[in-house]
Amino acid sequence: MENLTIHDAPPPGAPQQGGRAGGPHIQQALGRGAPPPPQQPQQLPPQMFTTAAQLLDLTDKKLLICLRDGRKLTGILRSWDQFANLVLQSTVERVYATLPEATDESAVKGYYADKPHGIFLVRGENVLLLGEIDLDKDDEPPAGFEERDYKTVDQMAKERKALDRAKEKTKLKKLATLGFEGENIGEVLL
Amino acid sequence: MCAPSADERLRNSFFKTLIDNQVTVELKNDIQIRGTLKSVDQYLNIKLDDISVLDDLKYPHLSSVKNVFIRGSVVRYVHLPHNAVDVTLLEDATRREAANQAQKAK
Amino acid sequence: MAEGEEGAAAGSVSEPLDLVRLLLDEVVFVKLRGDRELKGRLHAYDSHMNLVLGDVVETIYVVDEDDEDEEIRTVTKKSEMLFVRGDSVVLVSPHTSS
Repeated sequence: MENLTIHDAPPPGAPQQGGRAGGPHIQQALGRGAPPPPQQPQQLPPQMFTTAAQLLDLTDKKLLICLRDGRKLTGILRSWDQFANLVLQSTVERVYATLPEATDESAVKGYYADKPHGIFLVRGENVLLLGEIDLDKDDEPPAGFEERDYKTVDQMAKERKALDRAKEKTKLKKLATLGFEGENIGEVLL
Repeated sequence: MCAPSADERLRNSFFKTLIDNQVTVELKNDIQIRGTLKSVDQYLNIKLDDISVLDDLKYPHLSSVKNVFIRGSVVRYVHLPHNAVDVTLLEDATRREAANQAQKAK
Repeated sequence: MAEGEEGAAAGSVSEPLDLVRLLLDEVVFVKLRGDRELKGRLHAYDSHMNLVLGDVVETIYVVDEDDEDEEIRTVTKKSEMLFVRGDSVVLVSPHTSS
């Protein structure tokens, strides 16, 4: 199977499948200092095209994770595997409530709140998207969003979601007459 | 782990030619994320650098994020720069691949 | 199958995706999940029905939010080159002008 390191290949003849379960650190250790591979891969190395390789340089970084049910988590990525199962440290869940009347010009567009969770193992199939947080920008909240207490914002977000869901329902019914069906029924994305 | 199918190789080499281009990934929840294509894997998971979100009022949570890994299954479209795609080459490769598949089916 | 050995080679249709092959470099109509339709020139496809289309016009059907009598409205967007993930594709058809 593929090598997990981007820059180095494991030494020739090294057991390729053995190290996988040990996570990225072991893989890196295996690869370091190894002689270059005998034959040059054509163009980009095939490792560019594996899930594992894409997660490798996100290890130990502070990430934003968007889950299938719409939750947003931030945390430090400590371990992962080829299914993109993730272990996060210092996980914080952040809820946002955008005000219904907000526009791009509004001074206050909405509110947010944080809830600390600690260590999370997230099953890969529930992860829609993960992004590395720019630590320089991390201290400032998103422009136009103010912090409120968790209960308030959570309540607002839930009400907004219920409203959206009701709208979605009438829309689905209407568009069904044209032979359409929604694309992610029963799933609230992001 | 099985070897990648010819189909997969075709897609991989297609996206390989697009690496380092500006693309816009549109997700099934309507978020559009613009960024530099950094890599694509066998599930069409996509990694983008230097991202910006087109409707950041609706999606404020990505404001401090610099690069993203997007799960392939949530992608609806990838908007590509017109000049980064050689359509004749692509059509030829597709025809060749279709012929391959037909051969295999016999 | 009925076409015999050479059938699959050039022009004929012996399995569904062969139709799509015949549409390469033609303008096609694609219906998608999520209330969308596309019209564009087909440049590539694969067995998952991932598509690459050029000069695309996307039509999105939306329902206006004005309470009772919601009207169905369409929004069109253009894209010069578009990769479409196959799992959204409902149907592909040769474009008939209308």
